[in-house]
Amino acid sequence: MIEKRIKIGLVGCGQIADAHLQQIRRIPWADPVAVCDLEPLLARQAAERFEIPGQFTDLDQMIEQTRPDVVHLTTPVGSHRPLALQLLAAGVHVYVEKPFTVDADEAREVLAAARQAGRLVCLGHDQLFDPAWLECRRRVAAGAVGDVQHVESVLGYPLDGPFGTQVVANVDHWVRRLPGGLFQNTISHPLYRITEFLRDDEPEIQAAWFSRVPRIPFPTELRAHLAGEQVTGSLLFMSTTKPCHRLTRIYGTDGSLEVNLTSQLIRTDQIDRYPGAIARIEVPWRQVREASRNFRQNLLRFWRGDFHYFDGLKEMFRQFYQAILEGGESPVSGEEIVRVTAIMDRMFHACQREDDKRCDGRRQRRTTHSHIPETENAFEKRCDAADEVLCEKSP
Amino acid sequence: MNSTTDIAAMQVLLTGATGFLGRRVLRELVDEGGAVRCAVRTGSDINRLRDFIGARRWNQTETVSGQLTNLDHCRALVTGCDVVYHAAAALSGCPSNLVMNSVISTRTLMTAAAEADVSRFVLISSLGVYGSQKLASHSVLDETCPVDTAGFLRDPYTYSKILQEEVAWQIANEHQLPLVVVRPGVIFGEERGVLCHRIGLSIGHHLLRMGGSQRVPFTYVDNCADAVKRAGIVAGIDGEVFNIVDDDLPTGRQVIREHRKSGRKLKVIGIPQFAINWLADFNEYYSRKTEQQIPAVLTRYRVQAMWKSLRYSNDLAKQKLGWRPTTTLDEAFERTLAFDA
Repeated sequence: MIEKRIKIGLVGCGQIADAHLQQIRRIPWADPVAVCDLEPLLARQAAERFEIPGQFTDLDQMIEQTRPDVVHLTTPVGSHRPLALQLLAAGVHVYVEKPFTVDADEAREVLAAARQAGRLVCLGHDQLFDPAWLECRRRVAAGAVGDVQHVESVLGYPLDGPFGTQVVANVDHWVRRLPGGLFQNTISHPLYRITEFLRDDEPEIQAAWFSRVPRIPFPTELRAHLAGEQVTGSLLFMSTTKPCHRLTRIYGTDGSLEVNLTSQLIRTDQIDRYPGAIARIEVPWRQVREASRNFRQNLLRFWRGDFHYFDGLKEMFRQFYQAILEGGESPVSGEEIVRVTAIMDRMFHACQREDDKRCDGRRQRRTTHSHIPETENAFEKRCDAADEVLCEKSP
Repeated sequence: MNSTTDIAAMQVLLTGATGFLGRRVLRELVDEGGAVRCAVRTGSDINRLRDFIGARRWNQTETVSGQLTNLDHCRALVTGCDVVYHAAAALSGCPSNLVMNSVISTRTLMTAAAEADVSRFVLISSLGVYGSQKLASHSVLDETCPVDTAGFLRDPYTYSKILQEEVAWQIANEHQLPLVVVRPGVIFGEERGVLCHRIGLSIGHHLLRMGGSQRVPFTYVDNCADAVKRAGIVAGIDGEVFNIVDDDLPTGRQVIREHRKSGRKLKVIGIPQFAINWLADFNEYYSRKTEQQIPAVLTRYRVQAMWKSLRYSNDLAKQKLGWRPTTTLDEAFERTLAFDA
């Protein structure tokens, strides 16, 4: 039981700030004392809806007048480094929404400043604290799949969702200016679900991005393959498929396990216990029993009022605040923050290299042929059209 | 009715021209001979707009892409304009996006309009901005009723419209920008259908009908577009607010009956008027108890604003704008329900 209370400020009152404020409100010993945004109307709407006493447009004033113990940064990533440095210099602990910084060099700088100031920093790897993920981790540790060999991680991204539509409609949107574009803002989620098991600092990376929507002038799909010494991983970022998955499948020497974070389901595949035709009956029977168990568990959780999309975020905040109050370690270590950020950097470089090669090839074909051969397949034609848009945009 | 200015002699800026109401306003303005510049978002479907208003009218129309949250874009948009019709607004999304795309964009556009000495700014607001929860049942809702002072307790869209009006009046007063506000009721018509939140909530394949005997403050989209056009050209109405609702408003039950008569199937679960508050209380209690496992969509505050039995007045619009809903509701229903039937 926590006896002390913690004072919390938040900078950046956009969409994700709502999720933070909702989850902070669920922690009884956490007091959100102020919100801050350069745009006073955004600060006001957040303060009014979440009953936050302080609203500011100047960070220094917020720190001086409300003295928060910790400040959440939910601003666009380009501002994370300078704001985090400012907060750490003022002696404030910092929670940074993902992505941590624009690149790994900036991440190292912020973490060095935190060490020097003796303050904690945490990054939003919240899905690692989700109840379904915690159960998945427990089962893997208990040997449910044997030794992990490969992790496949999927993120479905709704381009027609509240944030996606903003990025598509606004040519000046900050997300479009990131080195990793649309992916840099969200890809850490499926990535850290892989790096939890793939522990190498510098795995081999093959990656490519592309678009399937001709009217959108930036890549919307990404595929990546990561190879570590013991474990490999594949990452799918898909924005044209429905439903929008948040899935991870872990393959091991004795079976595999799939965790669906949206539905809060865990499904396992194990080695057949019976030979030949009998196994064809036994396997679906096992799946029926597993589905029945999942149904009962979810029903019980619903009855308890225990389903919240951002449960992982709440648990992570709780652990972070507890570490601040009791002098512990941040729930996400500095080493992990740098490792994931550096892998993202290398993934985007790999995509850029593939992009350059593809565009060079297209230009080459343009000079040697009067036209690019048309493909018969409708899907390829669509990809081709999107590809042309991307090549025209690239230098 | 006051005298009107000749639209043919004016340069007009219209935002939201690709929207449901905006397209009809554009058609009205162009039919009166106005030269209309349409501000459209990058990536908007211009072809659909061109098809809607037809090739002849399209010649009088100019389209300019821009972001209404960008002051430089807004300055370019309002250059040389006499009247600005601001119909663009975000209809859905999270609260911060709604504030960004409805409130901040309005502030930016009005600032540019004030700099450019625009002679009138017409803001399309919403009938939802009234704090009607404070009115007694069956009383008249007209322009003298106060705007909700606790908009943050309402749904995000209504909150953004309340903030939008607050900011609009502030800018108009600070910069002496002549402002006219139009507050339409529920706009319906072809493409949008007749079912709306004022009648009930859609849950899966069912409609949860809330009450059913209260009048629905409808306005047919063509009638509403006519009123909006007039708000920009009628003289001597600066600083006025106009509620736009049609005559002979139907009840929720009548609307559902018409909907079914057109051959459409609809599964309805009726919530009696007296039980709406209980449902709201339960939703609030459950949401609080489970830390929002199911959010408090229904609250006492919201249901009182949305489903109270009220009478709606359009007298001021008739008197000062010289407006009449020329398409009767029967005809409007027929056209709407015939569309896509």
